[in-house]
Amino acid sequence: MPTKTIFIRSRELPAAIETEIVEAALVADLLEAIKHAGIAINADTAIFIDEAEVPHAMTPNLPATDLKRGSHVHVTKCKKIEVTINYLAETATHKFAPGARVRRVKAWAIDKFKLSAHDADEHVLQMCGTTRRPASDTPLNELTDGKTCAVCFDLVPEKRVEG
Amino acid sequence: MNRVVPPDRLLLEADLAATAFRVGEIDGRWRLGMISWPHVIIAVTAPQRPNSPAEFAFRFECTGYRQLPVTAQPWDLRTNGPLPAKDWPTGRSIVPSIFRPEWREGRCLYLPCDRLSIEGHPGWITDHPSRLWDPKRGITCYLEQLHDLFHQGDYSGVRGA
Repeated sequence: MPTKTIFIRSRELPAAIETEIVEAALVADLLEAIKHAGIAINADTAIFIDEAEVPHAMTPNLPATDLKRGSHVHVTKCKKIEVTINYLAETATHKFAPGARVRRVKAWAIDKFKLSAHDADEHVLQMCGTTRRPASDTPLNELTDGKTCAVCFDLVPEKRVEG
Repeated sequence: MNRVVPPDRLLLEADLAATAFRVGEIDGRWRLGMISWPHVIIAVTAPQRPNSPAEFAFRFECTGYRQLPVTAQPWDLRTNGPLPAKDWPTGRSIVPSIFRPEWREGRCLYLPCDRLSIEGHPGWITDHPSRLWDPKRGITCYLEQLHDLFHQGDYSGVRGA
């Protein structure tokens, strides 16, 4: 039976887990793969495929739609993640899907704060109170503290490497 | 008689098979080329720019992995040799500050996570903490930086385009 590679990601896991799932997978197959990865599923659990805005259906006999080769399956308690972004004296907030990547948040912030293309290239998102600048492909769900469905960034200038 | 594989090589091979690296491969951010210890060649995807390639290859030297940072040299897959300076990537501000063919004769990138370049730059530890080598994450932290450099608007293509 043909299979495809997917990645299961959760705050409960130290790292994403790569697994194979049948090509025409049902939700039941997906839930089994998640359980096999060591993640407990309960009434609060939601599953998001890649950057989908809405959680995937949990009905076992439905097809696992939108699941393609290389999909990232985010298993989370967060239906949305509230992102706060500070830029100079301004602050903006917006709710994103748990699988939304940092790249998408930056694009939203650039638009919100009306940065020019030039300034956009020279600014990055840095997690508030840290020096951590997550890679643009990082999903938001992995940047939460695991207790709240929220992430805070400062939009800061990227320095040239000099010296 | 069995040959003993050095621990740095074992760690590198484990990381190249680990999910963090595989995610980047399957997402199409980078692809693994040849391994010839202590070197590994990995190509990093770049967005379309006029007269510029769809990827840049790097030859990483990995002695002491992961406790020691790796060092990366832009590599020409056609000749299996160093990439000529005219074919190095460039941009408006950040990218050309890192891809400097004149720095150490083009043998490494001017990045704080690079083993050769961090030498003699103690100020980078405070100036660029997010660009330092992370021994817990290994080569993926270097690759993520390269991929992000190419996919920010600053990147404009190759120098000779």
